[in-house]
Amino acid sequence: MTDTVTLPGRFEDLAPLVATWARPTENARSKIRWSAGPEDFSDFYEVMLPRLPEILDYLATVPLEGMDEADTNLFCLAAAFAEAAPHHELYGGSADVPFSFSARRFVPGHGDVPSWETGRN
Amino acid sequence: MNDLSGTTPRKGSEAFSHLGRSVEAIRAELGIEPVPVEAIRDPAVYELEREKIFRRTWLKVATDWEIPEKGDYKVKELQVADTSVLIVRGKDGVVRAFHNVCTHRGNKVVPNSDFETFGKARANVVSCRFHGWVFSTDGPLRSVPMEEAFGKLDKACLGLREIACETWEGFIFINLADPPEQSLADFLGDFGKLFAGYPYAEATSAFRYSTVLECNWKVALYAFSEGYHVPTIHAGSLPGFSGVEHSDFKLIGPHASSTIYGLGMEAASSTAVFASRLVANDHHGPRPDLLPPGINPTGRQDFQFELPNIFPNFLIHLAAGCGYPGIAFFTHQFWPLDHGRTLWEGINYFRPARNAAERVAQMHTNALHRNAWLEDTATMEDTYQGIRAGVIDEMQLMDQEFLIRHAARNFDAHLAG
Ligand code: FES
Ligand SMILES: [Fe+2]
Repeated sequence: MTDTVTLPGRFEDLAPLVATWARPTENARSKIRWSAGPEDFSDFYEVMLPRLPEILDYLATVPLEGMDEADTNLFCLAAAFAEAAPHHELYGGSADVPFSFSARRFVPGHGDVPSWETGRN
Repeated sequence: MNDLSGTTPRKGSEAFSHLGRSVEAIRAELGIEPVPVEAIRDPAVYELEREKIFRRTWLKVATDWEIPEKGDYKVKELQVADTSVLIVRGKDGVVRAFHNVCTHRGNKVVPNSDFETFGKARANVVSCRFHGWVFSTDGPLRSVPMEEAFGKLDKACLGLREIACETWEGFIFINLADPPEQSLADFLGDFGKLFAGYPYAEATSAFRYSTVLECNWKVALYAFSEGYHVPTIHAGSLPGFSGVEHSDFKLIGPHASSTIYGLGMEAASSTAVFASRLVANDHHGPRPDLLPPGINPTGRQDFQFELPNIFPNFLIHLAAGCGYPGIAFFTHQFWPLDHGRTLWEGINYFRPARNAAERVAQMHTNALHRNAWLEDTATMEDTYQGIRAGVIDEMQLMDQEFLIRHAARNFDAHLAG
């Protein structure tokens, strides 16, 4: 699977993370997060945090419309990290926000829309 | 007090100084007595609220930028008023609201199985699926299949039933009274002026969440109406949130407002990197200069957001990028589904991302804020259960909970009127 993942040149080493974490929609990424454990979050975090400035520098040159497959993969990976990082940094590796309402009961209106589409607002 | 107080009044702020209240004035005006919880517990009060509040007052149901083009519509179910509402932009560009009820035999003209849906009317008509009656998006009944078989049909009287609909700053309100007792502008009064002028319509990138809470709608409203809970409930998602101050209390007829100041949280490492994409530019960054002059009137640098209650069920938290990175404003709305069930809707509004990095950074801010909302909502069903247990008859309210005291008093006044 991982060898079919394309990423912009200097990010090719992140391909295994793409297969695990990168999904186009918030609902799909939430499902993955909800089944992740502390080590999954910390493994993701250890690799991604040092690369984040470089990833965002690159994505800052990419318009949201018409991204190619490699850019889309990197975008989805960064999106997954944007949502997963607090679980490592703030929630002790828990898939749930401590002392919170069930995230499964929160319905995102945009949940099944690809996150690069800003669409209906 | 945080040590960042501005000293010079902002230009134009003096026009709103009559709204401001010191803590002493708030106490004198609203009292310091505990507030009864019977209005939350008693199903009979809910029936009165439906009749005397929700069927009579202005309710925000949509925004201009949700239905920007001719023919765009939104359907919103209003269980509290036993109706479904169609809000549609006609071919003249005017937004109107109608009961989503076919005048033939009462079917929904636009089917909707959710709390709200969006769509586009082709050729500026909507047609009922039951028997095919066709209505213009500005209301009139256009055509009826086999019309001659009715014998006599006064089509001119069989248009969609219109609901009063007015817009303020791009927020679309309806009023189910026919006719309403006052215009939207009169209803909003000084609140409408205090919050006017911010470019709300530029923040069209929205992240919306909703959930059904097993609690009375006022429990949910009240939980989002104070800053007292921030250091405790949000200890997980806003660690080290320092110097939070809830002040600048304002009483504005049936509405009220207040300000959250604070030095913000110590950003986690990832947040610092993501936020740097949003705070360091004019497009998404803090724009305290865009705040209407009555908000943060002395130009304090630790302004986070303005926290109003708009009677009866709407909150616009105006941040102008000063609070959560990149958030222009966020709204909450609380729709009763029944005495003990509430639809909560929370929406974060950003200006559109100009590239993929800004979008991802917005998604990080949005996730942090959504998670804080998960902490807020965690209290609501428990609070309602506690109130129903019947062992407490009143709430003890401190100064920063004055919006609750003010709202409860207003609800009582409306039910008595
Ligand atoms: S109920 Fe709508 S056409 Fe018959
Ligand atoms: Fe909160």
